[in-house]
Amino acid sequence: MSEEFKDHQIRDVIKINYKYTMGGQSKFFIELKNNKKLLGTKCKKCGKTWMPPRINCSDCYEPADWLELKQTGTIEVSTIVWYTTSAFIKAIPYGIGFIKLDGAETALLQGIFSENLVPSKIKKGKRVKAVFNKQRDGKMTDFFFVPEDEYDNWISKPEYEGGV
Amino acid sequence: MRTMRKVAIIGVGITPFRARYLDKTYFELAYDATKLALEDANKNGAEINHNNLESTVYGIYNELFERQFMPDIFINSYIGMNNKPGTRIASGGATGGYTVRMAYSEVASGLSDLCLCLGVEKCNDCYDEQTGVTTPEVLNAIAYSADMTYEYPMGMMAASSYVSMVNAHYEEFGNPTEEQMAYVSVKNHGNAMLNPKSQAPMKVSVENVLNSRIICFPFKLLDCCLYSEASAALILANEEKVKELGVENPIWITGVGAANTDCFIGNREDMGRLYSNIYAAKAAYKMANLDYNNIKSQIDLAELHDAFSGQEVISYEELGFVPFGEGGPWIEKTFEKPGEGPWLNGELPCCPSGGLIGCGHAVGATGIMSTGEAALQLRGDAGKHQVSINKGRAISHSIGGPGAAYAAIIVMANEEGLKKP
Ligand SMILES: [Zn+2]
Repeated sequence: MSEEFKDHQIRDVIKINYKYTMGGQSKFFIELKNNKKLLGTKCKKCGKTWMPPRINCSDCYEPADWLELKQTGTIEVSTIVWYTTSAFIKAIPYGIGFIKLDGAETALLQGIFSENLVPSKIKKGKRVKAVFNKQRDGKMTDFFFVPEDEYDNWISKPEYEGGV
Repeated sequence: MRTMRKVAIIGVGITPFRARYLDKTYFELAYDATKLALEDANKNGAEINHNNLESTVYGIYNELFERQFMPDIFINSYIGMNNKPGTRIASGGATGGYTVRMAYSEVASGLSDLCLCLGVEKCNDCYDEQTGVTTPEVLNAIAYSADMTYEYPMGMMAASSYVSMVNAHYEEFGNPTEEQMAYVSVKNHGNAMLNPKSQAPMKVSVENVLNSRIICFPFKLLDCCLYSEASAALILANEEKVKELGVENPIWITGVGAANTDCFIGNREDMGRLYSNIYAAKAAYKMANLDYNNIKSQIDLAELHDAFSGQEVISYEELGFVPFGEGGPWIEKTFEKPGEGPWLNGELPCCPSGGLIGCGHAVGATGIMSTGEAALQLRGDAGKHQVSINKGRAISHSIGGPGAAYAAIIVMANEEGLKKP
C-alpha cells in the first residue's frame, strides 16, 4: 500500500543589491535629477527622435545628439491598474500610459496621476504635463504626468514642483 | 531552407495544468511530461525510451518561478539525459513556441534524429507575504521582464502591457468591446470543460465576465489567463527515423515562423499592433506554402496564445483570419452559429483545448502544450474536444515578453494535409 503524501514547503528569498550604471543614458538621469529636464535624442543622420533616449540610432547605426523635449505631451494610450504585483499592490488604483511628448516621435511609458482617476480623464488625446518630485534620485520615478487642468494643483503640493 | 530535413512530431506528453502541485517539483513535472511523451510515441508505433533521445531543447521562462538559475541542467539530470546536448530557450510567453522552433531546427539541420522538446514552469511557489497569497508575487516575478529602468518602476506588468495594445486597437477600430472580449472567455472556459487537463473548465456567461473584478481597465478577472503549473513535451524525429521506427501517425512540422518586434510599445509605429504576430505568421505560412490572405480556409484549427481575451481578438486579425478591425465582430456575430467563427464547432476553432484562459498558462510549457494539442487534433486523438479535421493542417501560436515582443508560430500537417493544396 502506498504511503499517504504529505507536502513540505520552505520559506526562501532571492535578493540582489545593485549599484547600476546607466551608461550612455546617464545624461538623461543627471539632467532629470539636477535640472528637471527631459532629454530625448535625435539621430544625426535620419533625424528621428528617441524617447526613452538612445545615444545610438537603432535604425541607421549612427550616433544621436541630446535634445531637450517639451514637458507637455499627449496621451496615446492608457489604463488604470486595479490589481498588480506585490511591489505595487499598495499603490492601486494607479494610472499609467504612453505619452508622446511634444516634439518626440516615440511615446514614453509613465505614471499618470489624477485627482479624479477615471478612464475618461486619462484617455487618448488628453493633454498632460510633467510634475517633478522635489526630492529626486535621478530615476524615472522622479516625475509623472498629470492632466493639464490639474497641473497647478499638483505643483502646489509640498512634495512636488513644476518643471522648467 | 530547401536543404532542411522533414521533421515530425511523433509523441506528445502533457501533464494536467493546475494552480499548484504540492507533490511535484519543476523537474518532477518535466519528468512526467517526458514519460507521457515517450508513452504516446510508443502508442504511435515507435518503440523508444529515453535512451533513444539524442538531445533536448528546454523551454523554461522564469528563473524566479523555479527559484533556480539554469533550471534546465537540473531537469537534464533528473530525466536521464546526462552526456547529451541540451539547450534552453527563454522567450517570455513565447518560450514554448520558440522551443518548438529550436527543436525543429535541431532535427531539420541533422544535428539530431530524435529530439525531446520539453517545457515546464512552476510559478506558484512564489508567495507574497504581505497579502498571504501567491499571485502578486508571481506577477512581480513576471514584471521583471519589463524594462527595469523605464517601465518596471512605473508599475508595468503583464496585464497593463497587453491592455495598452488592446486599448490602442480599440481607439483605432472601435473594437474589441468589453462584450466581444467576454465572448473569448466564454468560449475558452467552455472548451476547457471538454479537456480533462485544463485548470479552469467553467461555464461562464458574458455577464459573469463583465461582472468579474476589474484587473486593469478594461480587462476583468475572467478576461485574463491563469498562472499554471505544468509541463509539456514533444518528441521530434526526422523522416528517416519516422520510417525506421514505424510511426503510424506522424504530424509534420511544415512551417516555423518567429519574429521579435520592438519591446518598447511606445516605439511602435502603431501601438494597437503586435507586429511580431504578423511577421511570424507570414514567415510560418510562407514556409508551409500557405496563403496569409486565405489562411482561415487552409487550416482546421488554431491553438492561439490567449493570454488576455482582447489580445486573442487582435490575434485573429494579425494571423490573417479576418481583416484588420474585424476581429471583434467576427467572434460576436458568430456566437452559437455552427460552422462560423472561432467557436469549437466553427469555421476555424480557436483554442479547442481551452487555451491559456481555459486550460492554463504554464509559461514555458504553454506553447508546447498548444503545439502538442494541435498535433493530437490532427491525429484525431484530442479526445472530447476533437474538432473535425478536413484539411489536415493546424497552427499553434505563442507570444510573450514586454509588449508581446516575441512571437512564434508553428504550422503542422498530417499525412493527408501534406498532400492537399
Ligand atoms: Zn537614424
